[in-house]
Amino acid sequence: MLSRIAESLFWLARYIERAEDTARILDVNYHMLLEQSQQPYRLRWEPLISMAGEENRFWSLYDTANAESVFEFLAFHGDNPGSIVECIAKARENARTIRDRISREMWEDINGLYYTMTRFDPKAEIAAGPHRFCDKIKFGAHRFHGVTDATLPHDEGWQFLRIGWSLERAEMTARLVDVQYQNLLDEAPTVGVPDNHQWMAVLRSVGAYEAYHRQYHSPIEPEKVARMLILHPLHPRSVRFSATEVQAGLRAVSGTGPGAYANEAERLVGRVVERLSYDKVDEIFQQGLHSYLNELLGLCGLIGDDIARTYFYYAAVA
Amino acid sequence: MLATVPKMTPLSAPMVNRGLFEGYDTGSFYDEMFSAPGVPRPQYSKLFQKLAAMAPAQFEERRKLADLSFLIQGITFTVYSDGRGTERLFPFDLIPRILPHSEWERIDRGLAQRVMALNLFLQDVYGKQCIFKDRKISRSLVYSCPQFRREVIGVEVPRGIYTHICGIDLVRDSKTGEFYVLEDNARTPSGISYVLENRLVMTRTLPDAFQDCQVLPVNHYPAELSRILRSLSPRGEDDAQIVLLTPGIHNSAYFEHSFLAQQMGIELVEGRDLIVDGGIVYMKTIHGLNRVDVIYRRVDDEFLDALSFRPDSLLGVPGLMGAYRAGNVALANAVGNGVADDKAIYAFVPTFIRYYLQEEPILRTVETYVCAEPRDLAYVLDHVPELVVKAVGESGGYGMLIGPAADGKRLEDFRSRIRANPRNYIAQPVVPLSRVPSYDPSTGCVAGRHVDLRPYCLYDGRTVTIVPGGLTRVALQRDSLVVNSSQGGGSKDTWILRGEN
Repeated sequence: MLSRIAESLFWLARYIERAEDTARILDVNYHMLLEQSQQPYRLRWEPLISMAGEENRFWSLYDTANAESVFEFLAFHGDNPGSIVECIAKARENARTIRDRISREMWEDINGLYYTMTRFDPKAEIAAGPHRFCDKIKFGAHRFHGVTDATLPHDEGWQFLRIGWSLERAEMTARLVDVQYQNLLDEAPTVGVPDNHQWMAVLRSVGAYEAYHRQYHSPIEPEKVARMLILHPLHPRSVRFSATEVQAGLRAVSGTGPGAYANEAERLVGRVVERLSYDKVDEIFQQGLHSYLNELLGLCGLIGDDIARTYFYYAAVA
Repeated sequence: MLATVPKMTPLSAPMVNRGLFEGYDTGSFYDEMFSAPGVPRPQYSKLFQKLAAMAPAQFEERRKLADLSFLIQGITFTVYSDGRGTERLFPFDLIPRILPHSEWERIDRGLAQRVMALNLFLQDVYGKQCIFKDRKISRSLVYSCPQFRREVIGVEVPRGIYTHICGIDLVRDSKTGEFYVLEDNARTPSGISYVLENRLVMTRTLPDAFQDCQVLPVNHYPAELSRILRSLSPRGEDDAQIVLLTPGIHNSAYFEHSFLAQQMGIELVEGRDLIVDGGIVYMKTIHGLNRVDVIYRRVDDEFLDALSFRPDSLLGVPGLMGAYRAGNVALANAVGNGVADDKAIYAFVPTFIRYYLQEEPILRTVETYVCAEPRDLAYVLDHVPELVVKAVGESGGYGMLIGPAADGKRLEDFRSRIRANPRNYIAQPVVPLSRVPSYDPSTGCVAGRHVDLRPYCLYDGRTVTIVPGGLTRVALQRDSLVVNSSQGGGSKDTWILRGEN
């Protein structure tokens, strides 16, 4: 497989995943933030922007962070490279450059999603609230996963897609937990008082609300939520599950068996999976959730860099 | 997404009125569908009955379905107007162009003859150059062609093939009713993907029409091209690594490049995916460098290799020509083919057919004034308002003047351009192109629109294979003679019938 194609597949998947995750977070938090006006304290919109890692850009474009500006920025703004619209456009552009390598159904699906998205009128959507728009994106992404799974041979190309969206998902979930946790701790009147309502939203934004209840049969507690989202071995959006997927994809490409690694990316992802498999949630809180997640995010960044170095770039060939 | 075709209403109802064709005017042109007002030609008789019985609303519904299908599949081309490329649908007209088998059979023979002659001409001018010694064409006319490549004189091309793929444009002259060759495209002709996709959409949109008409299939093209490419491999056919080299996603024909690569199951590469090391071409894969044997290149000669041609080109592969000369990689089409489709050389193709094949040309060519010849130049300058003037190296309808449609200022502008560089221009009388009924969405009516026909010819060194039909391009603007997609043209499916009707 051509390096350029592997790279396009990797980014195609990352952009789709980022669009979906942004849509999920936006949808759930938007409604949560609107509802909590009766609360004695106010949560802020800013964490949604820091989750996207785009604080500077946001403040260069807007004066205040409120329902309208945050929605517009995260969903539609052309100057925000991580906005949903931009992610879908870039996913489609990547798909277009490799459309001979993906299935016809995949191309038609992502192309159709792109056209659906361009037909949304940002003004009308902002007035109507994000649910309708975010739902389209979420299910658009799900359908793309399904179409991919059902129509593309599960060969190396498929592995690069798998690596791309799993790595993106690991990062997005880690960032979501980190930002929400800080937000809730900073803003809640009494630190440590679990606020069910807020954590419910966190669970909902990764589609883990029902799974949580099946798992724990108990009220929502921050530690359990963190355990669910970071350490759960089977929940498809947990950091651990996603990291394991990245590892499986990398091993399938290089042909490496368990206990060994063929490149730096595999070594690092092995370390991440190992930690997430054996760390306990109280150990994480002992270290401090923020510092723990920051380390994970740092490692994810390095894994991405090394995948590029190993598979995508040809530094001067003799 | 488009799997469901709307339920058809039975079309057996007696003709109450002529529906879509109400008030259709064949005008003073050869009409491909009607031999006289209201009288369809034999090859159209079945389709005419179907279409005429169809309510305009029903037709419009099918048309929208076809458009949607093209959009969702991303069958678009890129237009550069404001410096930024925009994607556009290539307009598709649902009413096909139909030719009876006997007429096609003659075209097929004529094209095969022409492709063989062009190939022999290229072998000769880049080889022994007998044609100059025998004084059938002047060396200076050939050497002054901007697409003539001295760099490949003496290079032996695999199996002696230069013109693996030719797109030859034909037009039917309304005055004589006969087909003429309008121009040859022997470099990187495009459009075949539309032929294949048009057919696919057509069978989905008007499936019932195919049940009645026996239309010859076209979908063997990719397999045939793949077979030819494979046969060129310097390392034998079994392990041949074949790639399609595209300028990239911003090229107007990018859809076609990816389509063909996918259909043939070969790698679609850009220049940056390839590297030349020790005279061997490799592609950069996730598991290291893989040797490449055959390149179906859709990048023009001058951009192929910055070391041999344009030094500013980023689209090609530095060192590629070295590998080509050494015989380590095959290119299709060959480098230097532009000399064969130069519009001034065009006037000599009948001479080539007689000289190389000792045959009389089967297809006629349009009378051509070569401005490089002083006598022709004088005539052209006197008659510009009646002529079509074309720059010899341009394609896509650019650099062209249609005399009768131009104002005084533009005529004068072309006169001075011709005087400044006569070798760069040829002129031909205006050919009144035949017309095919075409649907005009703005009026909801069917009206005659001018068409040409570009069949695609594949040459394997022994025989020429032509998929029956080709791309019928249609000038959708009323009265326009320019069929190029960059100038508002569209296309139609082209049906060659198994028999006469």
